Amino acid sequence: MNSLTTAFFIAAAMILFAGCYMLVRSHNMIRLVIAVEVVMKAVTLVLVFAGYSNGNTALSQSFIITIIVAEVVVAVVATGIAIAVYRNNGDLDLRKLNKLNG
Amino acid sequence: MQGILIFLLILLVMGSVACVMFRSKVKAAISLALISVILSIIMFALGQFWAAIFELSVCAGLVTVVFVCAVSLTRPDRHNQEVEEAYHKKVSGLPVFMVILGIGLMIILTMGNFDFSVTVDAAAQVRTFNDVFWNTRQADIIGQIIIILAGAFAVVILFKEGDKA
Amino acid sequence: MSASLATLVYAFIGLPLIAIVLLNLPNRKFAEKLCIGTGLFVCIVQMATAVIAVLLLIEFNKASMSFSQFWDMHVADDAAYFSVDFLSAVCLFCIGMVGAVSFAAAGSTVRDKILNYTNMMMVLLLGMNGIALVTDLFSVYVFLEISGIASFLLIALYRDPVGLEGAFKYLVMSAIASAFILLGSGLLFLEFGSLRFVVLEEMLQAGVYNNPPLVWLALFFLVAGFAIKSGNMPFHGWLPDAQTGAPSPVSIMLSGIVEQMSGTYATMRLIDIFLLNKFTVVNIGMMLLALLSIVLGAIAAVGQTDFKRTLAYSSISQIGYIVLGISCGTVLGYVGAVLHFFNHSTFKSTLFANAAAVKNQLHSTHYDDLGGLQKQMPIAAATSVIAGLSTAGLPPFAGFWSKLLIIIAVWQTQGAFVASVALLASIFTLAYFLRIQHKVFFGPEKQRPAVKEPKDGIAIASIALSVVTIGFGILFPVLLLALQTQGVL
Repeated sequence: MNSLTTAFFIAAAMILFAGCYMLVRSHNMIRLVIAVEVVMKAVTLVLVFAGYSNGNTALSQSFIITIIVAEVVVAVVATGIAIAVYRNNGDLDLRKLNKLNG
Repeated sequence: MQGILIFLLILLVMGSVACVMFRSKVKAAISLALISVILSIIMFALGQFWAAIFELSVCAGLVTVVFVCAVSLTRPDRHNQEVEEAYHKKVSGLPVFMVILGIGLMIILTMGNFDFSVTVDAAAQVRTFNDVFWNTRQADIIGQIIIILAGAFAVVILFKEGDKA
Repeated sequence: MSASLATLVYAFIGLPLIAIVLLNLPNRKFAEKLCIGTGLFVCIVQMATAVIAVLLLIEFNKASMSFSQFWDMHVADDAAYFSVDFLSAVCLFCIGMVGAVSFAAAGSTVRDKILNYTNMMMVLLLGMNGIALVTDLFSVYVFLEISGIASFLLIALYRDPVGLEGAFKYLVMSAIASAFILLGSGLLFLEFGSLRFVVLEEMLQAGVYNNPPLVWLALFFLVAGFAIKSGNMPFHGWLPDAQTGAPSPVSIMLSGIVEQMSGTYATMRLIDIFLLNKFTVVNIGMMLLALLSIVLGAIAAVGQTDFKRTLAYSSISQIGYIVLGISCGTVLGYVGAVLHFFNHSTFKSTLFANAAAVKNQLHSTHYDDLGGLQKQMPIAAATSVIAGLSTAGLPPFAGFWSKLLIIIAVWQTQGAFVASVALLASIFTLAYFLRIQHKVFFGPEKQRPAVKEPKDGIAIASIALSVVTIGFGILFPVLLLALQTQGVL
């Protein structure tokens, strides 16, 4: 088995794990959004490698550009919601919201 | 070539660890930008120039600006120091887990006798990005237009002042 | 004649886009008056177009009708195009129907934000229509993101703390789900060099793949992603919060159609591609998820103290039935799942419309504030009885037939035990429905200022949906016979 393939798989899995770990451990809204971005980077890495190894680079580039556009808009919406929450109650801690438990 | 790529991948993983571990959110956002930069270098190295340019300008540039703005708009409160210290303590196990995961995967992938060879599509290799993107991804382009439209409305809904009850 | 009629299918994408442009051109005061009318128009045209599309498909005797050329560069034969088939036509009809109910409810509930609401609803319609129409796994991701973004913004429409919290939780979970779906797609792309449904189906059924572990991993991520999106039980955390936090017309949309389109419909497509008989483990995994959702969702619904929250847990349970039907992998289960999809859209939007009416009058949906509303709000009380009995699967309402089909299909494939668990969960359904009726509409009247049921869009929509539920229940045997003569069953 190709050592480059191994390296890409391991790197993608490790970045994915780092992102998920941050997601589970953090309660700060902005940090959660950053964690989502880290997870998306791992996914982008998989797609880059996929396009490279099956020779379909044109298609993988089309995918990645679309993903980047979607990612940016999600980041803007998420930070927008976080800022609106901060304006409402002066804090970004998700645990302190909990108005919906029941 | 292969050595450079593996070096870049190691940098990428280290960048993601740094992004998780930093106490300050601005530094986390900046290391996210760093991850994007390294990723776009990898894209350049693998010959995916359009994607690399987008990754560099949009993800490393625009998204970082958005995050830094968000962090500075939400000024931390008095207890911030303690909160960030507590967070750092919570994620301090990450490097250990990462090393275990990396070694474990390496053992599984090398011992497991996997053959991840894929068929290279020779016909697809010669197609240009312009041709593929504009001709075969029309549905995605329409989707992109709608997403950008939604982003514009998002700014109106979430940031417009004055009409809040 | 028919060939020119076929261009009508462009309306699914074109009409909402045109509506957005037209609504934002004139000045704001004028546009706000047009919002509800435009929205209803778009939704009703969509329902009509879906019906026409089905008729055209029958007339041409084709399984699907594709349309792709938005601009004519040169024709590429491997394009990611849109296509209408019977399943997507049913879904498009449901989208139009629930959208119309939501707009009808918005007339009296969303006042000052009506322009923003209509814009985002149009984007949401575009996103869900896209999910129903696309023929490429990557395009599914794109349109999932669109409907997701539109849902977050609709939930956070008023920027109130509850809505923002629900929206943020939904956003994070949905982003994880999207990442999983994309990861699965990326692995499939690595293996096959394309993500078009046709190519994937061909290669998987022929067994032409080098690396089974990659395909398994991809399938795992895809199923997990769609399970989060449809709110199956271990991944359901965001759903009740998002539902409760959302403005009333938006929760009609979310529960009635968004979860089903972004999770369940995509799973149905996945079944088409993967032909899950070859992947039995996945079938069993999906069945376990479904059973967990059905039982725990129903039990959790019994314990809730809020009208909308009860309904949200009920959605988890009912969507579990749809997934259970799909997981059988047989035609009978598939048909049952599609019919339950339609039925769930009708009865759940009736119930949420009634919740909207109650909230509009009393500004609360907590059981402590409700009770004894039957005299003041007879229409809401009567229609929610019908919808509730349909949810619980009692004959002769529509829900009975679809649940019956699903349970028969489960009995045939998974054995009597699973089928009886699914059947017993219906008792819990009846229990929480009776609790809703008792706490909201029957029971002693609370001390409060007198309320009156307005004769507005909500009442009309509830009555129309109840007529559909009853009519469909009575006509159902006829439909079954028709399907049988066509050779589907």
